[in-house]
Amino acid sequence: MTAPAPVVIRLRDLRKNYAAFEAVRGVDLDVRAGEIFGLIGPDGAGKTSIFHILGGVMPATSGEIEVLGLPARDARDSVGYLTQAFSLYVDLTVKENLRYIGALRRVSDAEIESRGDRYLRMFGMAEVPHRLAGQLSGGMKQKLALACALIAEPRILLLDEPTTGVDPVSRRQFWDALVRLSAGGMTILVATPYLDEAERCHRVALMHEGRIRQAGPPAAIRDSLHLRRLEVRAADLGRAEAVLAREPTLSDVQRFGDRLDVMVENAESGRVAVAAALKQAGFPPASIAEASPTLENAFVLLLRRLGGRLEVPDFPSSRAPVSLRDRAEIAGYGMNKRFGSFQAVQDVDIEVHPGEIYGLLGANGAGKTTTIKMLCGLSQPTSGVVELAGERKQLRSRSVRGVVGYMSQKFSLYDDLTVSENLDFFAGVYGVAAPERAAKKRWVIEFAGLTGHQDQLTGSLPGGWKQRVAFGAAILHEPRVLFLDEPTSGVDPLARRVFWRMINYFADRGTAILVTTHYLEEAEQCNRLGFMAGGRMVAEGSPTGVKQAQGGCVCVLGVDSPQRALDALRTAFDPWRMSMFGDHVHVIVDGDGKAEAARIRGILEGAGIALLDLQPQPYSLEDVFLALAARNAGAGP
Amino acid sequence: MRRILVQVSKELSQTRRDRLSVALALLLPAILVILLGTAISLDVRSLPIVVQDLDQTPLSRELIDAFRASLSFQIVPLAPDRSPESALLSNRAKGALVIPARFERDFRRAAGVSVQMLVDATDSNTSTLVRGKAKAISVAFSAAHGRPAAVSDVSTEVRLWFNPGLDSRKFYGPGSFVLAMSIFPSLLAAIGLAREGEQKTILQVYVSSISAHEFLIGKILAGMVIGAAEWLLLLGISISLFGVGLVGDPSAFLTASVLYVFCGVSLGVLIGAAIPSQAAAVQALALVSFLLSMLLSGLIFPIENIPPALRWVSNLVPARYFIEVVRDALLRGGGWRAVWPAVLAIGAIGSLFYSLAWWRLRRMQLDL
Repeated sequence: MTAPAPVVIRLRDLRKNYAAFEAVRGVDLDVRAGEIFGLIGPDGAGKTSIFHILGGVMPATSGEIEVLGLPARDARDSVGYLTQAFSLYVDLTVKENLRYIGALRRVSDAEIESRGDRYLRMFGMAEVPHRLAGQLSGGMKQKLALACALIAEPRILLLDEPTTGVDPVSRRQFWDALVRLSAGGMTILVATPYLDEAERCHRVALMHEGRIRQAGPPAAIRDSLHLRRLEVRAADLGRAEAVLAREPTLSDVQRFGDRLDVMVENAESGRVAVAAALKQAGFPPASIAEASPTLENAFVLLLRRLGGRLEVPDFPSSRAPVSLRDRAEIAGYGMNKRFGSFQAVQDVDIEVHPGEIYGLLGANGAGKTTTIKMLCGLSQPTSGVVELAGERKQLRSRSVRGVVGYMSQKFSLYDDLTVSENLDFFAGVYGVAAPERAAKKRWVIEFAGLTGHQDQLTGSLPGGWKQRVAFGAAILHEPRVLFLDEPTSGVDPLARRVFWRMINYFADRGTAILVTTHYLEEAEQCNRLGFMAGGRMVAEGSPTGVKQAQGGCVCVLGVDSPQRALDALRTAFDPWRMSMFGDHVHVIVDGDGKAEAARIRGILEGAGIALLDLQPQPYSLEDVFLALAARNAGAGP
Repeated sequence: MRRILVQVSKELSQTRRDRLSVALALLLPAILVILLGTAISLDVRSLPIVVQDLDQTPLSRELIDAFRASLSFQIVPLAPDRSPESALLSNRAKGALVIPARFERDFRRAAGVSVQMLVDATDSNTSTLVRGKAKAISVAFSAAHGRPAAVSDVSTEVRLWFNPGLDSRKFYGPGSFVLAMSIFPSLLAAIGLAREGEQKTILQVYVSSISAHEFLIGKILAGMVIGAAEWLLLLGISISLFGVGLVGDPSAFLTASVLYVFCGVSLGVLIGAAIPSQAAAVQALALVSFLLSMLLSGLIFPIENIPPALRWVSNLVPARYFIEVVRDALLRGGGWRAVWPAVLAIGAIGSLFYSLAWWRLRRMQLDL
C-alpha cells in the first residue's frame, strides 16, 4: 500500500431498516483496491446487511453506495459474493456448481473449465471434481464456494463469515488463498468473528449496533488502546481472577486455561500492582510476563466501553459443589472404533477429572466426533473401555443421563418452539425439580440477554443468542459431566467471554467438561488439551505445555515484498509452515530458530529481497496445531 | 439463452440426484393413476339383496330369477323366520325385494301390481343406482310378459355413445390421469424453488445479473421436461389399463398437454417463490392443486352439481378444462372444434400464473 490505491467501495451514511428495527445506522466506509478489509463486530451489528447491500441483492433504505463507481446492482458482474450460509447446491457436484455459477455470470465454457481447474488446484481440491458438494467437509465446501465466487474473476470479493465451523488447517489454507488473491489486485471485504483472522487484514473496522466504531490497520487499533497485556500464571486461577478483578488500576482481567490476561496501562507499574494484590491475598509469588495486546483485547475493551455486558447473573444453584475426587468423570481407555475397514479412532486414552476443562482439538476427520460419541455412550467402541460418571456398562441409563449435559452446535433446540417452551421441555426431560425450574429458567433467559423476549420463536433468533439458550438448556440440571461440541462457533468475542465465565463457574464447582473447538484462542481457556490427528491422540498437555513440547518457534519476517518473499521461501519450506499476516510473513520452524533464521536470511538475500526485521516468536496454539496436523498427516489411515 | 439452458440442465441434475424428486416425478403419479383409475367405481356389481317371496308361484320365481341374472345384484339367502328388515339392519344385505302374496294372480288379471324394494340408503349414490336397476329389471320383466308397464305417447330410446357400457374405468381413468398431471409437475417445481429460498442459494442467483424471465423460463422448461416424461408414462398406463385410446386428431390434445404442464409448473414456481419453505410450499400446493382439481374440476363430481355460488371458482381451475380435452381425446375424438375454448383457457391461466411468478421475482433481490 505505498501509493494510495483508488477507492472501489464507497459508502456514505448508509442506512437500512427492517420495519421498525434499524440494522445499519449511518455507515461511512472507503475500501481501496487490493485491500483485505475486515468487518468485525458482535452478532446483529449489521454486517450481513452491509454485505447484502454491496452484493446488490437487497436495497438500502438510504445513503450513497458506490461499488467501482456504479450502483451496487449494476456492479454485480464485477463482484463475487460468498454468503454466510454455504451458498452451494449440495446436490450438484463440484464441477456442476462451478459450471452453473459460471454460466449464470456469463463466463464462457472454456474459461469455466480452465479457471475452475486452476482454483481447484490452488485450493487443493483437484482430486474431487465429481464429488457432490453436500458430501464435502466444511472447509472444502467453503473453498468450493470461494472458487464459485471467483469463477467470474470479480474485482471485488465479499466474504460474509467464510470460515465459521471450518477447522484451523483449512482456515489457514483459505486465508493463504485470500492473501494471494489480494496480492493479485483483488479487493476483499470480509466479515469474521475470529479475531486472529482479522489480524491478517490490512485494515479492519469494528462494528457495533449498526455503526462503525473504530477503523484502521490492526496494529494501529491495538496501539490505540495504550495498554499492555500481562500474562499471569498463578495457582488458583479462579480466586486470583476474583482478586485482580477488584483492583481498580487493572483495566481488564481475563481467565484462560492456565493463565490470566491482565490489561494494564503501564507494564512496570502494572506488574507491581498485580504482584502486590496477589501477595496481599496470600498467593505465592506468581510468574508475570509481558506481551503485546491482541485485537481481541481491543475489541472487548471497546465493546465494554460501549456498554457491552460481561457480568453474568448468579446461577441459582441447587447443588453443593462437588468435592474434587481423584476418579475421572469422563474416561476412555484403549478406545478403538472401526467402520468397516476404516479405523476412525485408534488406541485413544482420555481422562477428564472433576473440575477440569479438557479441550479436544483436531482437523475435520481426525476422529473427534467419533471419540465424543463413544465417550457419551452414543456409539459403542469396537474395543476399549469407557467410563462415564462412574458407570461402565449402562452409559445410556437414566441415572447416567441425569448427570450428563450435552450441547452441540448442530442439534440443540427446537426452532419451532419459543425460548420459554424449549427451556420447559429440557427442564422436564432432565428432571429438574419443579421448585427450581422457574428460577433456573429466569437465569437462562437473563444469561442469554433475552429478558422480555422469551416468547420469541427460537428459530428467529440470531445464532449467537441461540447458542446461549442452548448452553442454558444443557446446564439446567447442573450436570456432573458436560460435553460442549463447538459451543461458541459463530459467537462474537464478548459473548464468548460470557460463555467462558459460565464454563469456568461450572468447572469450579466440580463439573468435568469436555470441549471441542476450531477456535484456538478459545482452546487457551482449557486446562488440558488433546490433539487428535488420523484417529490418534498425538499430543496432550496444558496450553503452555503443548506449546513448549513442540520445540519450535515462529519466525516473523518484516519484508518489503511479502508475496515475493513467500515465493522465494517456498522452495525451502513446506507450504504449511508459511503464511502471510498483513505485511509480515510467518514461518514455522523447528528448534530454537537460530539455524533456520540464518537459512531464511540466506534465501531472501539470494532472491534480492530486503529483510527489514526477523523475530523469533513462541508458538501460538494455532502453530502447534498446524505443525501436529502436518506431521501426522501421513500417520493416519 | 445460454443462461436459460444452464438453468435447465442444473435443475435436471438436481432432480436426478434427489430420490424424493424422482419418486415424486415418476413413481407416485403412476401409483396414483393406477389406484384411482381402478379403485373408484360407481358401477354397482354383486350388491347383496335378500328376497321375501310371499307368493311362491312360478311367476314370482321368474321375477326373482330376473334379479338373480342381473350383474348388479347377488341374492343372499334369508332364513324363513327372519324379516327382510333384519337383514338390512344387520348389514347382511343392501336391499330387500318383497313380492306380495297373490302377485301372479293380480299380474294375470291385469290389475296394477307392485313389488316392494327396500333399499339401504345410507350410501345415497348406491341407493340411487339400486333404485334405477330395480326399476329397469321390473320394466323389462313386464315387457317380456307382454305387459308394457306404462305406455306413453312419446318414448325415448336411449343409446349410450362413446362409452356404451358406462364403464366407469373409462370415466375415472382419464380423470386420474388429469389429477396426477395436476399435482406432480407443480409439486416438483414448487419444491425446487422453495429449496433455493430455504437454503439461501437464491442469493447466488440474485448476485448474478440473470433476469427474472431467464431464471423462471429455465426453471419452467426443466419442469416441463420432467412433466413430459410423466405425461408419456401416465398416458401409457391409462391406455393399457383403462381400455381407452387416442381417438381422432391428437393435435389439440398435444397442444393442451404442453400448455397444461406449463400451467402446472408455473403455478408451482409461483408458490415456491412466494413461500420459501419446502414443507409449507408442499402444503399450500396440496391444498390448491389437489383439492381444487379433485373437487371443482368435474373430475369426480359434475360441475353442474356444484352450488352456483362456488361454481365460478371452477372456471379458474385449469384441470377443469384439461379434463374436457382429455376425455374428448380418449373417448369422443372431437378434436379442435370440440375443445378449442378449453385449450385457450388453459393457455390463459398458465400465462396468468407465469406473470404472477414473474411479478413476485421481478426485482431479483431480497425484498426486506
